[in-house]
Amino acid sequence: MRVLGLYVERDTPVHKLAPFTKLMYAVTSTVVTFLFPSITVGILFLVLSVFLNTIARVLKHLIALLMVVSVLSISIFLIQGMFYVGNYTPLFSLLRLTFYKEGLLRAVVLVLRLFNMISAFGILMLTTRPSDLIDDLVRRGLSPNVGYVIASVLQIVPQMLSTATRIIDAQRSRGLEMNGSFHKRFKAFLALIGPLVLGSLLEARERALALEIRGFEARTKRTFLKDFSESKR
Amino acid sequence: MLRGKFTTAVLVLIPVAVGINYAGKFFAEALKLPLWLDSIGTILAAMLAGPVVGALSGAFNNIIYGLTAGPFSLVYALTSVGIGLSAGGLHRSKMFENMLRTILSGLIIALVATAISVPLNVVFWQGQTGNIWGDTLFAFLRSKGINVWIASFFDELIVDLIDKFLSVVVAFAIFRSLPKTLIYTFQRE
Amino acid sequence: MGSTEKIKIESLTYAYPFSDKNALENISFSIMPGECVGIIGRNGAGKSTLCLALTGLVPKFFKGRYSGKVLLDGEDVRQISYEKLVTKIGLVLQNPFSQITGARITVYEEVAFGLENLGIPRDEIKQRVEAVLKALDLWEKRDENPFELSGGQLQKLAIASVLVLQPEVLVLDEPTSQLDPGETKEVFEIISQMKSQGITIVLVEHKYEMLVEYVDKIIFLQEGKMIAFDEAEKIFSLPEIDEYMVGEPIYTKLCKKLNLKNSRGYYPVKFSEAVGILREARCGSDR
Repeated sequence: MRVLGLYVERDTPVHKLAPFTKLMYAVTSTVVTFLFPSITVGILFLVLSVFLNTIARVLKHLIALLMVVSVLSISIFLIQGMFYVGNYTPLFSLLRLTFYKEGLLRAVVLVLRLFNMISAFGILMLTTRPSDLIDDLVRRGLSPNVGYVIASVLQIVPQMLSTATRIIDAQRSRGLEMNGSFHKRFKAFLALIGPLVLGSLLEARERALALEIRGFEARTKRTFLKDFSESKR
Repeated sequence: MLRGKFTTAVLVLIPVAVGINYAGKFFAEALKLPLWLDSIGTILAAMLAGPVVGALSGAFNNIIYGLTAGPFSLVYALTSVGIGLSAGGLHRSKMFENMLRTILSGLIIALVATAISVPLNVVFWQGQTGNIWGDTLFAFLRSKGINVWIASFFDELIVDLIDKFLSVVVAFAIFRSLPKTLIYTFQRE
Repeated sequence: MGSTEKIKIESLTYAYPFSDKNALENISFSIMPGECVGIIGRNGAGKSTLCLALTGLVPKFFKGRYSGKVLLDGEDVRQISYEKLVTKIGLVLQNPFSQITGARITVYEEVAFGLENLGIPRDEIKQRVEAVLKALDLWEKRDENPFELSGGQLQKLAIASVLVLQPEVLVLDEPTSQLDPGETKEVFEIISQMKSQGITIVLVEHKYEMLVEYVDKIIFLQEGKMIAFDEAEKIFSLPEIDEYMVGEPIYTKLCKKLNLKNSRGYYPVKFSEAVGILREARCGSDR
């Protein structure tokens, strides 16, 4: 992965919406489902979010995101179904374990909430280029420093992970043992993370110098190269 | 040298701290260690540039992770902030001077991480953590009628105690091996 | 170009924090506008520190114990306003990878970064970026992600990102150390281009054979002190070159071994001159 992020390139009306709008939708949707923990509200928003994801033709990707929390969702059903404080009405039994109506309903609300959060933010993350989102936020008043940190994290992290892979290869060829007892493997961990940290901190210092040389600390009003009304530069 | 409150060096440190967190997790997976080891960067940033920078590194870490891999981690941004703040505060109070103090600090930070995560667990997913072992214990405790908060605390402790403690120890070992001039670069004026 | 010095250093002495040794000791020299000056010396001689001092990053970024003055066009580099300093002097470092900001996803935007910071109007940014990318043969790559470029291209990108700010002085600290011979030649050609545009250049380089073809003079540093500041052939003929094992252009070494000096009494440093002298010597021994 060259740049961190979930952006899927498509040409849909949802893609063309301003990033800030999509962010606001995601936040609103999440907050409302938390304030009003009802199944109706949950379903309403979920349907809306799924609909938007479909228009954006990223439904497949959304499903992949939802799969990530599938285990958690199942366990929520199990645990709430069996142990929720308000459990009163048994619904069915399986292998000597009793599942109650109240708990299961509660689980439905919780899982809907979770799915909603992922779907609503999914619209934002799947249809917006990270750099565009950051640009939009900086234009609306987000500190350019914060904008810089977010933008650079998205590129520097994949870079560091490539370096991490290289360090593994280099150390392996020097006889580093990656199997064996926990103790051995933990020592191997130290032998890998040490050089990575040192190298990346030294690089960070040089990067700070490079930024200073390129006017990063200038107090003049900055220019925005991209006009958001343009679709590409 | 200051732009707003932060030096350029500190602004560059934060992405690197996030990267170190990711790398820690990556190496742990490659070595099949039963740990996350994904807070080492946050702790190092806190030791290098103070509690606030540590907290920010932690927050950004979870925000980025949440925005690029699924919003689950977003919730625990507060935990990472806590780790950063406590690591930085402990370092400032000279609690990383020697191995003994570091061990103590490691326990403190593990407890802080657990303490912050528990309310988040309870509010968002009724006490669970999403970790198989922890949640199994949680289910067991709940089946015995144990209060959800206490059950969640032990769920979280299983997940976090060794992991955070070892992360602190690793961060300490690395910090000690860094050249002084490099450390000096990142100290907030 | 004026008649006053572009760069003037007066008794500069500097030590990094936590260090008892001086990284630079009592350095004084002047460089005229448009000159191209090389810096040579062993590792640890203070070459990089001197580069940082020229841009003011020593002491601004590194702190430490500092005495003496670094003057750009007569002004102390510590007093020049940041915005002015950035457009006056630029610095290119050794490692191509650590000079990318990391915050921009295309080469074009990366180069524009500095200009955005300075609040340059958008149309001018577009003009300047295009000009510099074309001059450095990077225009074709303008939509690519910087992290996809090779080391040599990255180094050119670093140079472009600094050149776009139109500095009057450019300092380069071992810009070709991580590049292959072809890429090295490209970088030197860019340096030659800048020289012909009147930019004052200071260049730290170990590739002496190439260095001597482009510089007017060389500063020779050893353990923080300036041993000499003179024309290339005079520098490489100094006994200290051998004493401190600094190295020299390979054909200079050859001529030293064969004790062949040029008409001015120095060992030749330029390729063409060395060839001429060796040819003469060979013809001489045929008789």
